[in-house]
Amino acid sequence: MSDTLIFSPKPDRPAPAESVGLIGWLRGNLFKDVPNALMTILGAYIAFVVLSWVLNWAIFNAVWEAESRRECLDTVGRSGACWPGVGVWFENMIYGLYPKDKVWRINLGFAVLIAWMIPLWMPKVQSKVAIGLSAVLIYPFLASYFFLGGDKSILWTALISMSLTGFGWVWATALSETFVGKSIGEVIVDKAGARNADERRQRLIKRGAAFVIFLVAVLLVNEWALEEVRTRFWGGLFLTLVISGIGITFSLPAGILLALGRRSDMPVISMLCTAFIELFRSVPLITILFMFNTMLPLFMPQGVEVDQLLRAIVAVCLFAAAYMAEVIRGGLQAIPKGQFEAAASLGLGYWQTTTQIVLPQALKIMIPTIVGNFIGLFKDTTLVSIIGLFDLMNMARAVGEDTTWLGLFIEPFFAVTMIYFVFCFAMSSYSMRLERKLATGRDR
Amino acid sequence: MSADKRKTMIEVVGLNKWFGQFHVLKDIDLVVRDGERIVICGPSGSGKSTLIRCINQLEHHQEGDILVGGVPVEKKGGNVREIRGQVGMVFQSFNLFPHITVLENCTLTPQLGLQMPKAEAEEIAMKHLTRVGIDDQALKYPLQLSGGQQQRVAIARALTMQPKIMLFDEPTSALDPEMIKEVLDVMVELAEEGMTMICVTHEMGFARQVADEVIFMDQGEIVEAGAPESFFANPRYDRSQQFLAHVM
Repeated sequence: MSDTLIFSPKPDRPAPAESVGLIGWLRGNLFKDVPNALMTILGAYIAFVVLSWVLNWAIFNAVWEAESRRECLDTVGRSGACWPGVGVWFENMIYGLYPKDKVWRINLGFAVLIAWMIPLWMPKVQSKVAIGLSAVLIYPFLASYFFLGGDKSILWTALISMSLTGFGWVWATALSETFVGKSIGEVIVDKAGARNADERRQRLIKRGAAFVIFLVAVLLVNEWALEEVRTRFWGGLFLTLVISGIGITFSLPAGILLALGRRSDMPVISMLCTAFIELFRSVPLITILFMFNTMLPLFMPQGVEVDQLLRAIVAVCLFAAAYMAEVIRGGLQAIPKGQFEAAASLGLGYWQTTTQIVLPQALKIMIPTIVGNFIGLFKDTTLVSIIGLFDLMNMARAVGEDTTWLGLFIEPFFAVTMIYFVFCFAMSSYSMRLERKLATGRDR
Repeated sequence: MSADKRKTMIEVVGLNKWFGQFHVLKDIDLVVRDGERIVICGPSGSGKSTLIRCINQLEHHQEGDILVGGVPVEKKGGNVREIRGQVGMVFQSFNLFPHITVLENCTLTPQLGLQMPKAEAEEIAMKHLTRVGIDDQALKYPLQLSGGQQQRVAIARALTMQPKIMLFDEPTSALDPEMIKEVLDVMVELAEEGMTMICVTHEMGFARQVADEVIFMDQGEIVEAGAPESFFANPRYDRSQQFLAHVM
């Protein structure tokens, strides 16, 4: 017999120059062959024509200073945009008919929300889940007081103070975790000299500290007296953000519960959830809005009046929850049976399996669809204009009905388009970033 | 009864199960004692997997009793979770949790199920991962590993719950030949340490090497059972002879 041969693999060679780098990319993607090159040239030409037309109208030919639409038309006719009208109305498009001297309350409300979320992007902060949850669960009290104002009952004062306490606690924790590496609760326990005390005592100290801050907050809140602004003065982008913000934050948890309920082994729960989902999915949003607006008061006891905005918000929430439930259910169906079996064989119960194994995977798979639904919901809120709420879209239409700017529709709609695009594109790119961040090797 | 003094770990008495009208398990009786290694073989569709899945109640049976560590398994919920805690299971398709790292796969259930502190759970997990030779990949995600490595992680994950019995449901059937060996080596090592094991497998070499008893099943029944030497040397039934002729 011959000697054993030794296999030695060939050495790697660099890829041919024309297939890599900028030239390689251009060749491979834009000028691969004749039809491909023609398509590239045609596409570039169309992009150029459209873009130059839009830019000419919106910028180069546009009128930036004028007293009325007539003046615009006299200067450039229809070949350029007439921006002064949008400028005059811009504040209304953002804040609606909210009293001008109180607009700072809206700005403050949104500034607090942003400040509340900033710790979520701070790298050293650990309690991100708690911070996120607090933003969803306790922030709304503070915001609704800023936006609504008015008299405070004792309960209302307590809720607002709790919200303020939460905000203080979030930032205290964010700072202490960044600089000391411990949550604020642990820092307080250390300062109280109870580092080695048992868990119950430590918890007591933390709660005590929170209560002290709460009392301070109550004193502060008691001093505030914000004048009431009825919801019928709300409008513009502000209203759009309120309705869609509440709809989005409500629809995700409610959709998860409905989807789990629909898949439940318990027939009554499953039937109730299925009935709810199918009912709300098979009716157009406009119909639901009308129903809630006109029919709900009929079923209410005499004397009880529900705010019109609240009715619209409830309608949007229920509608969005039903849609979200089906999206989440799609994600749940995609989890292989083996995952449930593996969790069961390790002795995990239903809720442990659901929250630790199934939902994280299902939600991750469905991120594009979930965010798609959010974007859809954000845009669907324009429908509330039908029941007489002045959201961003309705406000834009009002510009052209102003006698000074009569007929000025295209410009405000163009501005609204840009505003919607900014928000929707932000959501969309955030979802893409989230997908990349959560990739765990399955995805190519 | 035999004179065997070892503790009875699993006892199956008169087990019957149907999938709809289809009778998958017929009057199964089985006793597994502490430290015993049982290999179950047979053609596909013979009910082998269903049998071991009944033991930790991934499948519910209709008739008969299953006792794990002397405690009867209650058919409707009840003590099922406690029983599952004592019985580890390894699946043909690994079923690792793809959204968390290998290490987290091994620490999740001890933390949730046994209320173990994180540091202790990680220490135990690393011990088992080292033993199956995956310690250097602990921070990767499961789908970044090869099939054989994933299956070894699955074994380590089951071991972190400190089970008294391990069930293997065709653990090597989804693997390339080169990877089968690395998984079998881990299983052999586990067997040599005295773990009570029930393996559904077609790896007759493994059966010959470690099994105390080989059970041959066909059409929902235990056709014959015996020590591997006698079973492989002279199977008594024609059905077992045909089967062995195919797989050996």
